[in-house]
Amino acid sequence: MRFSEAVRTGTMEIFSHKMRSFLTFFSISIGVISIMYSLTLIYAMSSRAKKALEVAGPGRMTVAMKRGGNSESAMDAKEAKSVITLEDAMAVRKQFPELFMVSPGLKKWVEISHGALNDEKVAEGITTEWKRRGWVYKVKGRFLNQHDLDTYARVCVIIEDGGWMKKPKWYKFYGWQDKFQEYIKHNDMLGQTIRLGNNLYTVVGILREPPAEKNPKYFMGVSNWDPSILVPITTSQRFLNGWAWSSGGVDDITVDTGKEATINAYKTRIDKLIKARHGGRIRFEIKDYREIIKERLADKQRDMYTVLIIGAIAILAGGIGIMNVTLATIYSRIKEIGIRRAIGATRGDIMGQFIIEAMLIGFFGGVAGILLGMAGIQYLASKGDTDMMLLQWWMPFAAIGVAVVTGFLASLYPAYQASKLDPVEALRYE
Amino acid sequence: MIKCENLEKTYQLKRGHGFQALKGIHLNIGHGEFAAITGPSGCGKSTLLNILGLLDNPDGGRYHFEERDVSSFGDHERSRLRLEAVGFVFQSFNLLPRFSSLDNVCLPMLYLGVDKEEAGERARALLEKVGLKGKEENTPLELSGGERQRVGIARALANGPRLLLADEPTGNLDSRTGLEVMDLLRGLNAAGLTIIMVTHDQSLAKAASRVIKVRDGRIEP
Repeated sequence: MRFSEAVRTGTMEIFSHKMRSFLTFFSISIGVISIMYSLTLIYAMSSRAKKALEVAGPGRMTVAMKRGGNSESAMDAKEAKSVITLEDAMAVRKQFPELFMVSPGLKKWVEISHGALNDEKVAEGITTEWKRRGWVYKVKGRFLNQHDLDTYARVCVIIEDGGWMKKPKWYKFYGWQDKFQEYIKHNDMLGQTIRLGNNLYTVVGILREPPAEKNPKYFMGVSNWDPSILVPITTSQRFLNGWAWSSGGVDDITVDTGKEATINAYKTRIDKLIKARHGGRIRFEIKDYREIIKERLADKQRDMYTVLIIGAIAILAGGIGIMNVTLATIYSRIKEIGIRRAIGATRGDIMGQFIIEAMLIGFFGGVAGILLGMAGIQYLASKGDTDMMLLQWWMPFAAIGVAVVTGFLASLYPAYQASKLDPVEALRYE
Repeated sequence: MIKCENLEKTYQLKRGHGFQALKGIHLNIGHGEFAAITGPSGCGKSTLLNILGLLDNPDGGRYHFEERDVSSFGDHERSRLRLEAVGFVFQSFNLLPRFSSLDNVCLPMLYLGVDKEEAGERARALLEKVGLKGKEENTPLELSGGERQRVGIARALANGPRLLLADEPTGNLDSRTGLEVMDLLRGLNAAGLTIIMVTHDQSLAKAASRVIKVRDGRIEP
């Protein structure tokens, strides 16, 4: 029996039982929609993690003070007086010159004013090694240099928002207006003097971000604590007044070993070095980038599993529906099976016919699900769900594939039953 | 062409012992014969026909079809042989109701793997041969009883069988159309086709070249 002929017969059968087929399509399409949704989520997650790793480099780790710490004993809290300092970073750099990057950071929430602008922003104190933390920018003017750091220079670099290549609709409704970004868009700040806290700083450079679609940092999640202004960390420590997490030291030291293989070895070495420098009286932790990404994606992962389970249940229900329909079809066509067998159809022919029919139901249901699901995903994407913007062209096909495979698996048992019918009895059946 | 030795068939019933439908059938049928199997209902003639047509396996005895012992054939081999060598004509026609006459006749050829175009050509020719030119696109529901049986015969002839089995082919037809169908079968036999027909109508049996009487699972001498 030709495949095309079986497809034709199957299609005929499906369309001659419209209600029955519609209900099966319906249940399958719900499954397909959830499968597609979870595929998109999974893809978004993995591509974010990958992009984040690309930007960060796989050898990345962060040395920071332990936050919270209620679980620690009172003794520990009393003992732990030291904080991580700029000197720690310099010591790590000196001890391990082969490291790709040792970049301390100190964020401060500062008042900023220039002309009509008056706002509060995050200014991050950095060293020149900040450059190696995923550089995606275009520079106007110059970046901070060692001379600035050595001389406690009152200079700063401004990070300018890259905007969008194509602004999503939701952004117009929900995107908040950033006063500072608006201001620097309309005023050329290069070479200007602005006030940060109580002092005046010269803008020596402007870093322009790429558009959001091309900016891997954007998809890692926007945070209010992303800095808009960079100043030399020495200047920040000595002159800049504003609110900061850590008093006296630095927020964190970001280290990059250059490759993933060496990350664990350096983790231990740096841990030992810093402990020794503070005589053990310090509560800090070193997290490598995989852990950080994992933490950031943990929520998404929970979402994903939920949706995936719902999808699997929906597909399962659809599969049971297909199985039921195939069984019903077989009972209503026992005579036909007898006729076909008498003509000379083998058991395999009969089995193949019903399996192809069930796969067709899966296929049509899948297509219906894709149409509905695509509409839904487009809607979510237009409402600002950045995960849903990452829908890939192959996902609908994969979802249809899942539906067809479901049809196949669900029909195996009924089709096998049909093929086992005794042709003589099937012919006699009325 | 057909050689049966001591064929036996027992149907297992739910309660009690099995029902023995065939109790040792010896039968030889040569090429080009037109044999009529007659007998009262329940005598086992349909069972015999099913075994001869490879739809059913005997429980005992030997069945040689064209010199081959087919009693030991598996389901797949029997199906293939049925497909290419045997044609069935039924009392209740047994056409697929949603298919057109043309599609019904094409069906056996498609199972054999004949190209769709070619199958269509051949089916058209066969329908013309049985006198149904112009009714190719009608479904069985749009045809009269006699016409349906002609479609059934055309379908049975689709793969050029060597043996045609007819189970009460005129049982559901009035006497005039019944005679027309019989004429058709006789014509086919005259062209060299071996035909075995089950009937309880003695007048129809006379049309056959040989009458085999079955009673209580055995052939009457």
